[in-house]
Amino acid sequence: MNVTIIDPLQGDFPEVIEEYLQHGNMKCIAFNRRGTLLAAGCSDGSCVIWDFETRGIAKELRDKDCVAPITSVCWSKYGHHLLASATDRSLTLWDVKSGEKIARVTLQQTTLLVRLHPGSCTPSICLACPLSSAPILVDLNTSSSTVLPVSVSDSGIGVLPHPRNKFADGSPPYTPTAATFNKNGDLIYVGNSKGEILIVDFKTIRVHAMIPILGGSIVRNIVFSRNGQYLLTNSNDRVIRIYENLLTQKKAAVALEEMSSSFDNLQGTEKLKAVGSKCLILQREFQDAVTKIQWKAPCFSGDGDWVVGASATKGEHKIYIWDRSGYLAKILEGPKEALIDLAWHPVRPLVVSVSIAGLVYIWAKDYTENWSAFAPDFKELEENEEYVEREDEFDLVPETDKVKDYEVDEDEEVDVVNFEKDPAFSDSDASMEELCFLTAIPSPDAPEQQDKYVGSSTKVEESTHSGSPLSVDVEQNDQAIILPDLSLAEAGGNSAAEETVGTNSSKRRRKPSAKGLELQADQVRKPLKKGKSSNKSFKSKNKKNDQDTNGFAHEEDVTDECL
Amino acid sequence: MSNAVADGGTPPPFHPYRLARTLTAHTRAVSCVKFSNDGRLLASASLDKTVIVWSSSSLSLLANLSGHSEGISDLAWSSDSHYVCSASDDRTLRIWDVRSPTFECVKVLRGHSSFVFCVNFNPQSNRIVSGSFDQTIRLWDVKTGRCVREIEAHDLPVTCAHFNKDGSLIVSGSHDGTCKIWDVDKGTCLKVLIDDMGGPAVSFAKFSPNGKFILISTLDSTLKLSNYAAGKFLKVYTGHVNKVYCITSTFSVTSGKYIVSGSEDKFVYIWDLQGKNIIQKLEGHKDTVISVSCHPTENKIASAGLDNDRTVKIWIQGAA
Repeated sequence: MNVTIIDPLQGDFPEVIEEYLQHGNMKCIAFNRRGTLLAAGCSDGSCVIWDFETRGIAKELRDKDCVAPITSVCWSKYGHHLLASATDRSLTLWDVKSGEKIARVTLQQTTLLVRLHPGSCTPSICLACPLSSAPILVDLNTSSSTVLPVSVSDSGIGVLPHPRNKFADGSPPYTPTAATFNKNGDLIYVGNSKGEILIVDFKTIRVHAMIPILGGSIVRNIVFSRNGQYLLTNSNDRVIRIYENLLTQKKAAVALEEMSSSFDNLQGTEKLKAVGSKCLILQREFQDAVTKIQWKAPCFSGDGDWVVGASATKGEHKIYIWDRSGYLAKILEGPKEALIDLAWHPVRPLVVSVSIAGLVYIWAKDYTENWSAFAPDFKELEENEEYVEREDEFDLVPETDKVKDYEVDEDEEVDVVNFEKDPAFSDSDASMEELCFLTAIPSPDAPEQQDKYVGSSTKVEESTHSGSPLSVDVEQNDQAIILPDLSLAEAGGNSAAEETVGTNSSKRRRKPSAKGLELQADQVRKPLKKGKSSNKSFKSKNKKNDQDTNGFAHEEDVTDECL
Repeated sequence: MSNAVADGGTPPPFHPYRLARTLTAHTRAVSCVKFSNDGRLLASASLDKTVIVWSSSSLSLLANLSGHSEGISDLAWSSDSHYVCSASDDRTLRIWDVRSPTFECVKVLRGHSSFVFCVNFNPQSNRIVSGSFDQTIRLWDVKTGRCVREIEAHDLPVTCAHFNKDGSLIVSGSHDGTCKIWDVDKGTCLKVLIDDMGGPAVSFAKFSPNGKFILISTLDSTLKLSNYAAGKFLKVYTGHVNKVYCITSTFSVTSGKYIVSGSEDKFVYIWDLQGKNIIQKLEGHKDTVISVSCHPTENKIASAGLDNDRTVKIWIQGAA
């Protein structure tokens, strides 16, 4: 609703790392539908929900049974539930608000990717793509599962094993198979190892259409854009392909069925291909012609205008951004830690990437101040313009004429209560309340809290080294916190230690952009290090008796360097 | 704006308000009174350094929150009515848990270098905005109590800071005569609404419930409703007296649409939102009415008086 005055450049793509999040060892991420919460699955089996606005931890989903690394997380449409798959072959459904485990199912294989059915508000059906068999539909309530067909043979339609399958027992071939729901969840799009997209009806589990992909190599990822209009596939031939979805958004399955029956004159694969050609149409192919990079975690931007994919080359943290018409817009180069997961914010020009080290990097636009906002009558020029004075520009105008500026119908009715729904979420069902925020509970200013603060971040020391000394922002934050500490220490209060500890072990850090690094290099040479180290010793002692003296020393150091 | 009377046909007729109760517990001027968002509680802040929490139905005193070392200028409720945040001249803000049996203070927000004059939660209630005599606006993380952003917003004391409906914008007003809109994520100025050098101080500003308009009060006894996107003032409400204090005003939307404001002539003023005419003047306070609040669901108004009055008055409709 603020689009009217907020950021006229919205729709652009991210450019720099704005900040990074640290908590345990995060493996995979997912935004909720509004982009207000970010879920991350960790290697210790827990899931962390970040409040993406404050970049603070809103919730930790943890259970004694869930200890295996998480492979994939998925939000329910209205954000009340989170489904996580782990390497112990389990699927766990959490209630986000209460933090409780609702259901847990153990499958025969580890699931690499899990998707909740998008249609219902209390989901129980999910799509799981296991390590080495066909995708399955799992009912989390009953633990029953249905194997999806991954190939079609000329003899007809069905769950027949792969024709080239060499396994004697008839089990499907040893390849993970990508699959995704369409927007409404009435169809499932499966990308198989022969390089075909199969469109499967969710209800009948029948293959209705097949689209062969050029090159015919294994499909690694298959992803819909948020609005369901576009589909992308990432194949082993190192090409990302964008398809336009020709089916209607609503009742796609019905439309597909009708279309299928209209091709009754054809048989078997021919028919499926004929139907397929009416379902998806190839729009664009993205590849790096020079280096032939294998792609990882490709996805669309929130508005579907951009396509993003990461390099799967070992040890690289490179994110490629194309516009949908095929032009490579930007290559983002991250730290020297391999990228393992990637997500684009549903509404903002913002990308979040997970590194092998378990950190989450937030890429955002490099923001520049809009100075004209301060002076409403001024406008910004791209370059100098010769000013042509209006003939009457400096004429003395009687006051009465000036009033004309305010040509406002004062009697016009204004509506101060009602508001339009956000067009970006037009498919919202008004009857269903969405969980966008978890209540922020102020952690009490009590000394007992200290241990918890330190304990929850395993890399406090490192992060203080890597993040803070380089960052101007943190410096400012510290200053903000530290000044009151002084006054508190003077007053003999006992929460000063807690405040400072909170600052240090806080799990969000700002990272400078590349150009910012140079500027800040100077500052690092200054006594900043000293200030930080005294800061640390202060924190590690963390005792009330030491607090006064340390608090003073610490404060002085920091103010010096800030001046 | 075409659907102005969207909630069905002609607006309901106005029933005059009358005084229902006078709450006397504060020992100094009352600076602020606010109903909680669930309508069950009422909080009042005072120069006597305390916040009092009242039951809004029985109007009994539930708790006296003391801890600040100086007078309190403003208070705010979290959206779930679980917490109250108070802004004090002792340069701190305090968050109080009003669901805990002891109404304890869970957090002290330190950072401002002068009096903290105004405070508000964002609708998500994960952030707090505060404005101070140190001319800055600060954004606080509710959970950790850290100041996450400091904006050097104005050239003179900040008199008000208020979030819009989705928490993406803040409007701030100042004695420097400007009213500015800020982007919460980036901390940047998006728009200056009033930029009259030497114009009257902006004493109060708040977003309309739907976030489309801003009600701005200036110390020339004028209230204006601004369409901030277009940068135009749509309605002007006058008749009250407001030249010295930062008097708060509010939208009354529970039955018909009205603007309610305090006044230095000791009355509470009620204007018709559309017609801009004064509908009623509530008489009873013995000093300037500094703050008013409308109950979120019932037709009930609370008002607070300065030092010669020291009371909170509750006004309801209907026969005595």
